[in-house]
This record gives sequence, structure tokens and C-alpha cells, in this order.
Amino acid sequence: MDGLKQRITAAIHNQPQPTVTVLSSLLAVEDAIGYIPKDAVEEVADLTGTTINDVWAVASFYPNFRFDPPCEHQLELCWGPSCHLMGAMAVIAAALDQVGVEGEGDTSDGKLSLRYNTCLGACAQAPVISADHNLMGRQSPEKVRAAVTALLASPSPHGQGGN
Amino acid sequence: MAENITTDITIAIDGVDIKTQPGKMVLEAAIEAGIYIPYLCYHSGMKPFAACRMCVVSVEGGRGFPASCTLPVADGMKIRSESHEVNELRRSVMEMLIAEHPNGCLTCHRVDICGPSDVCLRHVSVNDRCITCPKNERCEFKDTVRYLGMELESPLEYKYRQIPLEVSDPFYDRDLNLCITCGRCVRVCEEVRGNSALCFTDRSGRALIGTSFGDSLLESGCEFCGACIDVCPVGALVEREHKWEKARRVEQVICPHCPVGCQLNLEFNGAGKMIRAVPELNSPSNHGQACFKGKFGLEFLNDSARLEQPLVRRNGQLEEATWDEALNVIAGRLPEFKGDAFALLASPNSTNEELYLAQKFARVVMGTNNVDQTSNIQPELTVGLERALGYAAATNSIWELEHAGCILVFNSNLTEDQNVVGVPIKKAAQRGAKLIVIDPREVELTRYADSWLRPVPGTELLLLGGILKAVVDQGLEQTEWMDENCEEPATLHYTLNSIDMDHVTRVTHVSEEAIAEAARIFAQADGGAVVYALDNLPGELQRDCVLSLVNLALLTGNIGKPGAGIFPMRSGMNEQGASDVGCVPNRLPGNLSLRDATVVKALERSWNCTISVSQGLGVADAINAARDGQIKSMLIIGDSPNFTNGRLGDGLAALQNLDFLVVQDTFWGQLAQVADVVLPRSTFAEKDGTYTSLERRIQRVKPSIQSKSGGAQPEQWVFGELARRMGYSGFDYPAAYAIMDEIASVCPIYSGVSYPLLESQVSTVFRSGLEMPKPTQVLYSGKERRGIQWPCTADDPSATPILYQNGFPNGKADPITPVFQAPEPHLDSEYSGWFVPGRVLLQTDRETTVVTGKLNRLVRDELVSLHPSYAENELIKDGDPVEVVTPRGTWSGLARLDPSIPPGVISVTTLFGQLAVELQSSEEKNPMSKAPGLEILSARIAKVSALSSA
Repeated sequence: MDGLKQRITAAIHNQPQPTVTVLSSLLAVEDAIGYIPKDAVEEVADLTGTTINDVWAVASFYPNFRFDPPCEHQLELCWGPSCHLMGAMAVIAAALDQVGVEGEGDTSDGKLSLRYNTCLGACAQAPVISADHNLMGRQSPEKVRAAVTALLASPSPHGQGGN
Repeated sequence: MAENITTDITIAIDGVDIKTQPGKMVLEAAIEAGIYIPYLCYHSGMKPFAACRMCVVSVEGGRGFPASCTLPVADGMKIRSESHEVNELRRSVMEMLIAEHPNGCLTCHRVDICGPSDVCLRHVSVNDRCITCPKNERCEFKDTVRYLGMELESPLEYKYRQIPLEVSDPFYDRDLNLCITCGRCVRVCEEVRGNSALCFTDRSGRALIGTSFGDSLLESGCEFCGACIDVCPVGALVEREHKWEKARRVEQVICPHCPVGCQLNLEFNGAGKMIRAVPELNSPSNHGQACFKGKFGLEFLNDSARLEQPLVRRNGQLEEATWDEALNVIAGRLPEFKGDAFALLASPNSTNEELYLAQKFARVVMGTNNVDQTSNIQPELTVGLERALGYAAATNSIWELEHAGCILVFNSNLTEDQNVVGVPIKKAAQRGAKLIVIDPREVELTRYADSWLRPVPGTELLLLGGILKAVVDQGLEQTEWMDENCEEPATLHYTLNSIDMDHVTRVTHVSEEAIAEAARIFAQADGGAVVYALDNLPGELQRDCVLSLVNLALLTGNIGKPGAGIFPMRSGMNEQGASDVGCVPNRLPGNLSLRDATVVKALERSWNCTISVSQGLGVADAINAARDGQIKSMLIIGDSPNFTNGRLGDGLAALQNLDFLVVQDTFWGQLAQVADVVLPRSTFAEKDGTYTSLERRIQRVKPSIQSKSGGAQPEQWVFGELARRMGYSGFDYPAAYAIMDEIASVCPIYSGVSYPLLESQVSTVFRSGLEMPKPTQVLYSGKERRGIQWPCTADDPSATPILYQNGFPNGKADPITPVFQAPEPHLDSEYSGWFVPGRVLLQTDRETTVVTGKLNRLVRDELVSLHPSYAENELIKDGDPVEVVTPRGTWSGLARLDPSIPPGVISVTTLFGQLAVELQSSEEKNPMSKAPGLEILSARIAKVSALSSA
């Protein structure tokens, strides 16, 4: 528990950019810990001189923040226009099948959090996926099955205390 | 007003020319001119938000359809509001809004004639019907839909959100299925109240209002002031009590719970039951705000267990009697106790007229100066203030605090005791004004403070000395202003000079830098205001603390200026009025001195009697004298927590000592049980008269309810009857106005006051036609009742919002020199420290769990903060379970060692949510009047072994 608090504090207080805002602080926490714990909301409020409710208003506005611990691995599947045209729907169907879930969400064994994304910013490489924040382009149903298998076999990035 | 020199400009709305001023928005200008433009998110007193798009208009020569609430007026602007295309746009916006709100009834022509169990031809489910909504009949949203003339069928399908109702927090029910996300509640909580206990959550179609992580209001920073409920345009936020009751009558009263003088509109149902309190938007005292006490603490008006018949003790038993019998018993016995064996204690929520009669009765009929009112347990609050400046009252108006550059709050828990005073203070702090809090306790305002000086209890006076010295040493005195307005402060300078700052720091445990910083912030601010109470101050320091604070205001030139001044935080509702009309032991009406022979002569002539000039006893002394047997008889109006909370010792036991005790009270309580005669008393809402608030505002009230059986009577009538039966004239007045006329004739500061004058301070506020949809608060606020701030003299019967602007009554202000001492802590061997309680709205540094149930409860470990050195002696480690033992009981919690806490201080800060739950579930008839304060007690700390704590 204390470890978590220290990680939050470290993430919030070591932001590289000169302008520190509620949003930048939340992003720093999400990056470091993978989600926004309740303690982080309180600490961001203290740092930025706002209240927990103001911070919550910002945090809950963005669907990319999550408020419970993520699974060991993150898989994001882009279904933006470019990826869509280049066959994202088949890639997504294959990925869902390989993971064994019906749609977005966490697997019941806590191994993988799967999300759709509207653009991962690499349209030239469409269709794109992001496995534990590593972009992988030019996906096909076969490639994505292999990527999921490899991802699940790899060590969790959160296991070693975050980045 | 003279300074209003902005030139009017003219805009036209639908061809009607209206005059307005630059800087206003079109919607605001339209509302002021009585032209209705539909709106839902705009609310008077808040910044425009432009979220609902209901107030869209078109501008000739302009593009598109701007929202008029954020459209600044410009000269010659031509606005179209009621055109076909604007209304079409509004209707399509409304279609989207009603797609997210039950709308079957909103668009139905039968809505006003439907009953809850009628067969609905449109198949609207019972849950979705307007008739089953608590806001029905006062729903701004429904009114707006009907104003727009929506079609019967909406093209967008409504889907119930299926959000569970929140009905477990104190006082509030929240049904977010009805929310239209106008954001008024979020904004009023943030902008007006400064709490931000609510926020917007989520986004787009799922956006709603809520709290961080969906927490209970108990832990989100809510102060249960009800402001969000008052502005909600739909049924999403409502008062739980009498939720479904419909208002059939609305009456204005002054809230009886504290001296701020909040004007409240009370709603009554068809059976005459008080169902809701809505604070008055146009009130100069509260600007549309109330607090947990005023909003939710008037339920006692409905209590059926009122005393309705007099009781007389016969053979040791209190038995029912007629008024005639009871009054005859009193009139028969009281003459035995004439003179100083008698004391009269009036109630702080009596009217000025009643308090005047009370002191007149004591002085004329009973021949004694033993007269006081029961909340006046700290008469020193204003003694120094009066001696130095001239008047025993706040120098400025409460809402001027909003514009102060720096506010110093001294030993006052005003967020709980005079809540609405906190609203302008928090607003000022939000705006950037500096806030200094001096208090050993963690009170709610410390959250907003730039500087919180936390002296060891009992060393506050020395700390003030340090601050004064720092002002002088840093050359921050306003010498020019001082020369002109004050007596020579040479002695003060001399005394300050001899203060040793090292000593101050050592004794108070406030660092020299913090003292210097506070002095600098206060002295350099553009307008510095001092707000003070004497909570927990030892009696021998009280007068000098007040003098020090006055001196601080004088040295920095902050008297007689707007946005500055000094504000004593009185406690009883009409304590100011009691002091003004002489219902205090050593002062005559008008706060005139008993020692002034000409004053006494004049009064004797006017009252046709001789007045005793021997010193009278105040409430504290009178209770002591009753204990000693010196006082043998008392007449007490209204129960007071001071009889039972220990501040006057065991008050009830002392009163039992009396030979003859008469009590007039509303409810049967502990006080009535020890009386010899009990008289039923009218409540504040049944009275005709005036009250004077702590900002010297004399406000008129008229009876808004009739006592049901007619059994209870106001004090005015009782004093009249008693005096007549005891053979005295001069107590029969045709009505309350005549008493005020007499007060005016004997009180110089009230000499211009009369009911017709007070009536002339009422103006009509023009806010668009009656048939237009309006927020509830606006609906009730057709009139602005300003009252009048004294001095209001016969020569100059105008209000005086700021005292001493044209000089001081005694010529110059007198910076009287206090003796800056800190008494040796007289802690005995049994108690080696102080238990210092605090209470705040929000605490994020510890785990809090809310146990949800029928009524939510907070469960958490209370932390007992201690200085490490203090703990070492007792061998206590961080996190150890400890007990705080005080003479009034024992507290347990977990130790937290904190070097910033002065040694000897045992600080425990609880959450306001806890108090809210306790008040809500209290069995008391009038729980808000018994809301516990934060009292510092002598204490010791004891370690609890793990075994016994488990």
C-alpha cells in the first residue's frame, strides 16, 4: 500500500514538462501505475490546489483513464478509419477469438486488458495494434494471433515496479 | 448610487427597447427588464455557463444563434428572441434534453389534471410521471417545456437511465435519472460556496453530476447547506423531509439559529405544516444562501409536542393550569423577590421588542439590573471593541468580506456557528484575497487559509502581541491615518517594544517568520478585515485579545473603510439586538451606561420609575448566584444549551436551588422540569417584531404561522399581563410598532427606526411576468427587504453600512493598551495536555469507509495527533491505539506523531459528515440548536494495550 503511495508521489512530482496540470498529473500516474487509484486523485488535488471532485471530473471525462488495476498486459486494437479500410475488423475478430473474449474488457484470469482505440497515430502502418504500448503495424488475423500469444507469454511490464 | 457613473446603453429585444449597462449579458439585461428568455443553466448569482442552449437568440446583422447568457450587450443591439426560427431551434434543443428525462407527462396536455393512479392513455409508467416527481408544481424544466409548446410526440426515444437513487446521505435525496446536467449544483457548490463537493462525471451521453469515485456526500466535502437543492431545476436534488409535499403558501422569516439574520422563505402545505426552507435571493444578509441549520433545522416548527398550556407546580407536581391562574401565581410570588434576589434571562431569539420589554420588566417592575439573555456567556466579546471605537458591533457588512484584501479569522469556528459569514470569506479566498486563521483547532476555514497560525491554547494573546509588534517593527503602521483618527498610541508602542519575540515564539510555538508574514499580509492588503470569536479563550485573556485585534485594525488603518473592519462573531440569533435595547446587566437601552446620571434620569422620566444603579448580574454570574443562594427567583425565557453543556457549570442544578423559577418555553425540556411555573412560548415564526443581525441590520418579521391551539404566547404579551397584574402601567402596547417607537425614543442609535421606515426599505424586484418559468428561488423573491443598519438616528434616518466613516462617536478611536501575557498553563497533574478538537469538511489523508445502509455512516480510525516529544514521555509510537482522557469523557484513536503540533496539544480532527449524520438522527426536538461546538478541554493521553483495544 505504501509502495503504491510512493509511486504516485514520484510520478506526480517528477513530471518533466514545465506546466503541471490536473490532466498532466493524471497522465503521469496512469503511465506509471497503469490506472488512477483513489489516493492519486487525492494527491493530484493537493498538488494542483483543487478538490478531489474537480480532479475526478477531469479523470472521469477521459475514457482512457481506468480506476482499477489493469491486467498484466494491455492490448489495444485500432479501429480508426485507416485501419478499418485496411482490414481492422478481421484483425479485431481474430484477436478477440485468440484472447477468448466477446469485446472490450479484461479477461477473467486477469491476464489481459483489451481495448479498442480510435487512432493509434500510425495510419501508414494500418492496421495497427499496441501490445503493452508497443506499436505493431501491418497486422493480419494470423499476425495478431501470434502477437497475442507472444504478449501473454512475455513478463508483465507492471511486474517490475513500472517504468 | 453616486459611483454608478456608467452610461446606460439601449438594446432592443423583439422590438422593445430596454436600457442596460455595458458589461452585462443579454439574458441578464432581459431578466432585469422583465422580458422572459427561456433558460435552464443560468442562475442569478452564478457566472453564465451557456450549457443548456435554451437561451439562444438571434442578433440582427450577426451570424448564428448565440446563447444570450454569454452574449455581452452592445449599444444598439437588436435581438430576436421570440421569432419562429429561434423557437424552432430551442424546441429541437429541448427535444434532446427531454430524451434524457422522463417526458411522457411533460409533453401531455393532461399533465395538470392527472392523478397518480389515473389510467394513462399514453402508457407513461407510474415512475416516469410528473405527478410522482417531488418537484412537481415547482419544476422549472416542466414549465420551460410547456412554455416552448413542445409537440405531443418527441422524435427521440426516452430511455430510463436505471441509476439507483441515493437516499442514504443526510438530508438529501438524489435521483440522477432526472438530472439534465445543467451544472447549476456543481457551480453553486464551487463558485458560491467554495466547497466543490460536487463535480461533473463522465462525458457525452453519460455525463452526470456526482462525486469523486461516486463517494457519499459524507466524505466528499459537503457542508449540507442545501445550495445545490435550491438551484436544481428538476427533481434530481431534493430535500428528503416532506419530499412529496406541495407548497400552498410561502412566508418569509429570519432564521433563528445564528445572528447572521438569513432571510428564509418557508413553504407551508395545505395543512399549514412547514415543509421546506428556501433562502431568499434578494436578502442583503444571506444573498440566497443558508446552511445546514437553517435549511434542515426548522422541523421543530411542526412538532406536535409543543407546550400548549401553562403548568403550575402544586404539591411538587407540575399541573396544567389556565393562563389566568398561572399569571396570577407568578404575579403573586414575584413581589417577594423584588430587587437583586431576582434575575431575568431572556432568550437570544426573542425579538428586539421582547428583549426591550424583558429588561424594562426587570428594571421597572422588579427593580434590578440582573437581566441578560442566555447566549451571552462571553460579554467580553464586545466590551473592548466598544471602549476603543464607540459601538459594540461589527463595523461593516458581512458581504463586504467578499471584497476584502485580507481576512483574519481569530478563534472562530464560523463555518458551523455563523455559517453564511464563511461564504463571502471563501469567495474572497477563491478570488485571491489572503486568509489568515489563528486557532489552535483545525477549523474548516484552515483549508482555505494562506496562513494558519496554531498557537498553544491559552497563548493567543501573546501571539497577537507578536503580530502587533511585527506590524510596528516592519514599519507597516498607517501613521497618517492614525494621527488623524486615533488617540496617541504611545503606551501601546511602549508596551509592544518590550515584547520579546523569542519569548513569543517559545511560548506560542508559532515561528517568528510566520508571525512577521501574517503581519505583513494583513497590513499590506487592500482592505484588511478581522473576524473574531473568543472560543476557548480563558476569561482573563478575553478583553485584551479583543483590544489587540482592535489595535491591529487601527494600526493598519482598517476601520471606517469598505471591505475592511472588525466583526465580532456573536452566538445568539438576536444577541446584537439584546445588547442594543439594554437586555444586558450593566447597560441601559441604546447601550448607554448605568453610571451616566443624565441617561438614568431621562430614562426614569420616560419610564416613570426609579432605576437601580447597582451592578447587575449577567447570565454566568446569575447562575453562580443561584447556586450560592443569593438569587432566589428567576424568570427564564427559552431553554439554552448553556444550562447543560457545562460552560456555566451544572446550570440545571443551580436553577433547582431557586425558590421560585418561571420558565417560558416552546417545548417540554430539562429546564421546564425544574420550574415552578411553565408558560408555553411562541416560536420565532409566530412573532411580530424586529431582529438585529450581527451586521447591525434591523429586520422586520411578521407572524407566518399561528400557534395551533392558541395556547402559546409571545413574551410581549406575558410581560404586559404580568406588569398589569403586579400593578404597573407602561407595559400595555397596542402592537409591536408601539414598542419600537418607545425603543426609538430611548435608544439614540435606534432613534430614527420605526416600522414605517423599515417598511420603506422594501422594494419590488422586477423579474419577468408571473406566468413565466422561473427557478424556485427567483419565484419567491419578488421583494428585496433591506432592513436598516443602525445607527439610524432621528436626524439622519438612513442606514449605516459602515461605521466610523465620518469619524468616531468619541472624537477619536482609542488604541487601548492590553497587557500581553500568557498565563502559566494551570494544568494540574491529572491532565498534562489539551484535547484540541477540530472538524473539517474533507480529509484525504486517511482511510474512510462509508457503511451504506438506510442511513450512511462514516467508519474510520480517528487519528490523535501529538508532538513526538509529548509522545515519548508516554512511550507512544506512530499508529498505537491511544486514549485521550478528559474531564468530560474519553476519546480513543490511533496516535500520529506530528512535529508541527505544539507539545501538549492532543489534536483530533473529525469530519463534518459525522456531525451531519448525528444531527440527522438526533432525537432532540431542535437538534440544530444543540449542535456541539469545538471545545478545548484539559486532557491526558494514555496508551491502550493491544489487548484491551481489541
